[in-house]
Amino acid sequence: MLRKRIKGKRLITLLSLLILFSLVLMTLNIKRDQSPFFFESLIVTIISPVQVVFTQAVSSISGVFEHYFFVVNSARENKELRMQIDQLSQEKNELTERVKQQERIARLIPNEEPQARQLTVATVIGRDATQWSKVVFIDKGTKQGVYENLAVMTNAGVIGHIIQSTGTTSKVLLITDSRSAVDSLFQGSRVTGVAVGTGTNAVKMKYVPMNAKVEVGDPILSSGLGGIFPKGLRIGVVSQIIKMKQGLFQDITVNPSADFSRLEEVLVLMP
Amino acid sequence: MFVLIQFLILVVLFSAQTTFLENFSIAGVTPDLALIFVVFCGIHFKGSRGIGMGFTVGLIQDCLSGGLLGVNTLSKSLISFFFSTLKDKLMVEGLLPIFLFIITASLLDGIIFYVVLVTLFKGAVPGSFLFSSLPIYAIYNGCVGPILFYFLDLNRKWVLHKIPNPYLRQS
Repeated sequence: MLRKRIKGKRLITLLSLLILFSLVLMTLNIKRDQSPFFFESLIVTIISPVQVVFTQAVSSISGVFEHYFFVVNSARENKELRMQIDQLSQEKNELTERVKQQERIARLIPNEEPQARQLTVATVIGRDATQWSKVVFIDKGTKQGVYENLAVMTNAGVIGHIIQSTGTTSKVLLITDSRSAVDSLFQGSRVTGVAVGTGTNAVKMKYVPMNAKVEVGDPILSSGLGGIFPKGLRIGVVSQIIKMKQGLFQDITVNPSADFSRLEEVLVLMP
Repeated sequence: MFVLIQFLILVVLFSAQTTFLENFSIAGVTPDLALIFVVFCGIHFKGSRGIGMGFTVGLIQDCLSGGLLGVNTLSKSLISFFFSTLKDKLMVEGLLPIFLFIITASLLDGIIFYVVLVTLFKGAVPGSFLFSSLPIYAIYNGCVGPILFYFLDLNRKWVLHKIPNPYLRQS
């Protein structure tokens, strides 16, 4: 009886300690800056080489399958592409003329060339270990000059920004994560809003007034406000618009340009 | 030796979780191998050693996630505590009990995450979380659980046979 009681007390003490430690960890995490705890760096350093091996193995296997399907589809694609080439060469001629015209006009106006940003190519080596946040790990860290708050993109568009860096790896918070918010604008109408993650594969464009003219298929770009994402990076296209009678703003769903299920190589925009 | 084997299991589980498991996602949800491992440890480790393993697994999961540090430490510790305390009263043979344990553990995991983030830290959680993501997560884990349990149990029997240790229970 006494033994049982002592055991029960021991378990309650253990449980209280675990809860207390977790709460302290959460509080410290909120209070401190983004730099990782020493054990975070240690665990990431241990796991990342194995992640690289797993990623490469999966990539090789999927590469074999993709190559097979590629060959099957290539004949049909070839025919379609030839038709497109004819069409595009005609468009190219027209555009060359326009470019030359623009060049002549540009010479008349003194203009400062925008500074080209340096890019660092990184490989995605892992994804979030939980279900509840959208984060990927890349194989570049502070040793390669990759720090917090740098934008990350693919050739298709923005994917997110760095939230934490260790020596050789970094965590990228994807724009689909519910904590992500990117100040954005519609390419056509120049109406601004905020592209907010939903925790799924879609993004919501918030704070777009009811009277703003927006259509399905409109491209959305980063506005440059906020200091992380430079102006003009492609975020996605409008896939659904809902106008509620009572609301002040439109409910706009955006399909991100980047394919988040197939992230392999990404570009980090250096400062 | 026993500790090294557990360490290797954790490295393989977390590497799989953070790399190719995404390819098997259903409605954006993937099974949580760490959670299944925690339930296994809670049931099969002697005394309160399973709780220590739950705590370790939760902490590692937090480090390999972009979320709030400590949420998984808390949830995995509580889940391992739950199973470690009740293990003598539970029947753990057969597919159905394992399926039900893991569903229960998954629901607990999701609810703890939700309560901590929304209630204590006023964090943002997708609106559909409780009614769409969480049930899929629980059922998916419940289906994958018996398979992982089978392999972990094979390992447990092998370890018990080859390496006498004070951590694992005989049955």
